[in-house]
Amino acid sequence: MQVSYRWLERHVDLSGVTPLEVARLLTLHVAEVEGVEPFAAHLSDVTVGHVLERTAHPDADKLSVCRVDVGQGEPLQIVCGAPNVAAGQRVAVATIGTVLPGDFKIKKGKIRGQESAGMICSVRELDLGDEHDGIWVLPGEPEVGRSVAQALGLADWVFEIDNKSVTHRPDLWGHRGMARELAALLGRELKSLDTSLPETGSGEPYPVRVETPGCPRYLALPIDGVRAEPSPQWLRLLLLAVGQRPIDLLVDVSNFVMLDLGQPNHLFDRRRLAGSIEVREAREGELIQTLDGEERRLTPADLLICSGDQPVALAGVMGGELSKVEGDTNELLLEIANFHGTTVRRTAARLALRTDASARFEKSLDPCLALEAAGHLVRILAQIQPSLTLPSPITDAGDWAVPSVRIALPGERVRGILGVDMRDEQIAAHLGALGFGVAIDGGVLTVDVPTWRATKDVTIAEDLIEEVGRTVGYDAIPGAKLVAEVAPPPRDHRRELVRALQDRLSGSARFHEALGYSFQSNDLLRATRGADAAYVEVINPVAEGESKVRRSVLPSLLQKLGPNLRQRGDVRLFEIGKGYLPERRGERGDPAEVHELGLALAAPRPAANARFDAGALPRLRGVLDDLLHVVGAPAPEWRRAAADLPGWAHPGKAVEAVTTGAGGGARVALLAAIHPEVTRDLEIDGDASGACVSLDAILALDRTVSDYRPVPRFPGVKLDVAFSVPAQTPAADVAKVVDHAGKGLVASVELFDVYAGASVGEGKKSLAYHVVLQAADRTLDDKDQRKYLDRLERTAAHQGLELRRE
Amino acid sequence: MTQVDFDDLQRTAAERIARASDEEGLRAIEREYLDKGGVIAGLLASIPTLEPTERREFGQSANGLKQAVQAALADGRAALAAGRLAAELAADDFDPTLPGARLERGSLHPLTQVRREVEDLFSSMGYQVLDGPEVELDYYNFQALNIPVDHPSREEQDTFYCDREHTLVMRTQTSPVQIRAMERMTPPFRVIAPGRVFRNEQQDATHEHTFHQVEGLVVGHGVQVGHLTWTLKNFLTQLFDREVPVRLRPGFFPFVEPGFEFDMGCAFCGGKGCRVCKGSGWIEFCGCGMVHPRVLEAGFAGRDDVDVSALTGFAFGFGLDRLVMTRYGVDDIRQFMGGDLRFLEQF
Ligand SMILES: [Zn+2]
Repeated sequence: MQVSYRWLERHVDLSGVTPLEVARLLTLHVAEVEGVEPFAAHLSDVTVGHVLERTAHPDADKLSVCRVDVGQGEPLQIVCGAPNVAAGQRVAVATIGTVLPGDFKIKKGKIRGQESAGMICSVRELDLGDEHDGIWVLPGEPEVGRSVAQALGLADWVFEIDNKSVTHRPDLWGHRGMARELAALLGRELKSLDTSLPETGSGEPYPVRVETPGCPRYLALPIDGVRAEPSPQWLRLLLLAVGQRPIDLLVDVSNFVMLDLGQPNHLFDRRRLAGSIEVREAREGELIQTLDGEERRLTPADLLICSGDQPVALAGVMGGELSKVEGDTNELLLEIANFHGTTVRRTAARLALRTDASARFEKSLDPCLALEAAGHLVRILAQIQPSLTLPSPITDAGDWAVPSVRIALPGERVRGILGVDMRDEQIAAHLGALGFGVAIDGGVLTVDVPTWRATKDVTIAEDLIEEVGRTVGYDAIPGAKLVAEVAPPPRDHRRELVRALQDRLSGSARFHEALGYSFQSNDLLRATRGADAAYVEVINPVAEGESKVRRSVLPSLLQKLGPNLRQRGDVRLFEIGKGYLPERRGERGDPAEVHELGLALAAPRPAANARFDAGALPRLRGVLDDLLHVVGAPAPEWRRAAADLPGWAHPGKAVEAVTTGAGGGARVALLAAIHPEVTRDLEIDGDASGACVSLDAILALDRTVSDYRPVPRFPGVKLDVAFSVPAQTPAADVAKVVDHAGKGLVASVELFDVYAGASVGEGKKSLAYHVVLQAADRTLDDKDQRKYLDRLERTAAHQGLELRRE
Repeated sequence: MTQVDFDDLQRTAAERIARASDEEGLRAIEREYLDKGGVIAGLLASIPTLEPTERREFGQSANGLKQAVQAALADGRAALAAGRLAAELAADDFDPTLPGARLERGSLHPLTQVRREVEDLFSSMGYQVLDGPEVELDYYNFQALNIPVDHPSREEQDTFYCDREHTLVMRTQTSPVQIRAMERMTPPFRVIAPGRVFRNEQQDATHEHTFHQVEGLVVGHGVQVGHLTWTLKNFLTQLFDREVPVRLRPGFFPFVEPGFEFDMGCAFCGGKGCRVCKGSGWIEFCGCGMVHPRVLEAGFAGRDDVDVSALTGFAFGFGLDRLVMTRYGVDDIRQFMGGDLRFLEQF
């Protein structure tokens, strides 16, 4: 919304208060001013000139050569093409070097052989209107040589108000409301404004029927004896300042009253109406052609203004084609109504048709304002066209009441919340300046809210505290240390877990944390083979096909592998996030929420002779083991995962970590190679694996701190053992044999080689382990080692495993 | 028996040791003189063949020779070691510009890093950190926050709805956690709730449909506007590690009354006015205010143990993304969710 400084001055004396100061006051006490701009700055560069002489151009019929006094030095010779230029006129002269709107710089030149030292401007050249059939003849006798802006008093500043900061204030959508605030802040009077309705004739009041509660008040006033002509300059300039294009007097006055008082209104051509007005709800499917030329299909939630039964306006939003004033009518009907805010807002929102009128009505306007606006409009019109007459009294229809809110406000409460030491009388004075009626009785202020604030805006004591606080100025409120009244917060296991995982992953595991959108596209879900699952879906997605809310962080994480892998050799990503499962809902229909850590790893495929643990899957497995250890999960059991696999998982290469012990049995983590179709569709050119860890499952565990193990006092014996076993034998089974054969002496077993080449034979593989034997009470010797190997050979052979002794 | 010239032997040995250029040479001399079957051993072995009167003197001379050779060898070795050390220190084969071995590293998302700082600062002030659902009931996101169905600010929030009946929404703010906190906590308490929020907006360099907020809520007895200003100023001063000028001005949010916009002094121009602050010298930091009585009533509804009329509180909510963008100079908000390692690994 734009507000003009000069316009504000019509309502409050701003002498000594600069536009920047006005902007500061409004921002700190009322509403956010997003910008302050001079209006038509170029008017300060254009000079008032006096045409001393006009002669015909010797070589051009339509041009004239003028001598113009611009108050400095010799009169200038200016060639002018306008038919209306004449000696004796005061005109706007752009001298050499002046820049006019459109970046048009005036240069010295010759026109058909005649020197021209400037330009006499038209209204359009000064961006003040559309007229360009002649130069602008300045009104009155402005002082020659001064700037046009100064000489005519046109200098103005425009404030851009952030509409969001006044959504709750119906009274601030007109200049008078803003001026009222400034008057209170400056301790000045709001200028009085006569809005009484002039005397009317004794004809029949115009018949109006209001058939809907959506229209609490409808005023109709026939007006005769006015015609649509160009508006006077003062009116045009004010409208231009706030970005409104002047049209003609009737439209301009209507707009002026809306922007001045905040009350929308409409002038109908009475001859085009059927003799009565009806305000009613639209019928289902009823059509109206609005002034913008669009045909609108309505529902009973919309309100119509009808002439007889014929819709002429969409109430509170926009007039219809039939409501236009065309040609030279002098029989008008002024409509000033009050519509239900929410009804107008819904209609405007549903039809995507927000107008200056709907923006005001939806704030819940004061119904008393309607009559003031009627008087205001008639008085302005009559002042410009004294031929105006009012043939009959005004019709005041609808079921409305004066908005009345009375609030008891203990002074102590104001002081308590604002923390400012201030007497009840001071509080009353601040409220009084804003138009509130206040009576003080024993520490409690009884406050009557003025009608323009009483429709919705001010209802409770806290609203009044805000009024006091903002007029005093929040700067005046000192900071106050918040002393400890609360116990220290309890331990937050979820946050501790999240941080432990993030720290380990970004630290020693060297993973990068990425964030993915909660919305996942259908394309991505298809590519990750998750399209068939149930999803929470938004009904108004930001883009077609991006409506699904993720169940898991994995799909978007996997999507990030391909592009990164094309940049570098090794991509390690993780995300901790939430997923939503619509098939499990709470009592109130809210979907179950799961907290998940997702991991994704991609690298070039390992060479054929690389170690068995060089690939993405074993690497990720190592990371998972480390993480589960760090967060204190009891050592999980890893086993082949067959059921309940996500679509992105390779069904033959998937394992899950299941915890044992108390509260165990739940899947804590799932790890799998990426399904070949997924790597193909996501263009991951490499070896990729993914994993998801359930934070919920970890938090449900009885987590343990692993027991301290004494540092060995006696040296251990290190040896390597290798087996030739059937190709299907799980390495973990062999490790168990290696361990058990030690009868407690085996301190560690570590697989270091898996080989399935020709030298070990068809259908067989070789597994090799580093083994450490250790005793707590003595140093082991060669004999112990020999005994261990003998026992290992026997137990292994027993299970069909061949120990290969070198 | 010929006379043995011990002096000559010693001189010769000393000269040879002095000439030896390496350990190898010294070792050879050592072997020749001192080992079994060496020169000195031979001399000592010859003692029995001497006249008894000569034996003593001869033996002393031989031992003297032995000690002299040993001492000369030790000196020779020390000299060699000193030479080696000098040579090593004087070596000029070092290229100080050679790079170090590259350490592969991981990273935490910048939003996580700043979020942690925020959490830790508020934790240290006694705030509990709460979490809330991203798919939220309309009740928590709007109704209980004094934003009834007809409220115009619902439209401004550009809400993603999850069903036709509009009972479920993607939360447009972290404020619903205020209600969830009141439902399960007993005043006095202080909480913050960081998390992601959603607005149906077209994306560009400065707009995202998914972004991050931190909500704050303090409920207790005698909580005042001044407590709010102090808290936020104290927080910002610690976060930015410098004195941050702040100001309150009127702002409208349905769930607070009075409501404020909280500005902080522009760090780029020191308050003089620049492009970043659009000339005002101030940057909007957050919306905040005193908790609206209707919000307290909704949050503590049905709680016999809580006297709502005796409570006041303040609440604030600020965006995390812009803090991060300001701190690191990130100029495109879409980078945060993009997952490009060339971006992520910088943090
Ligand atoms: Zn600045």
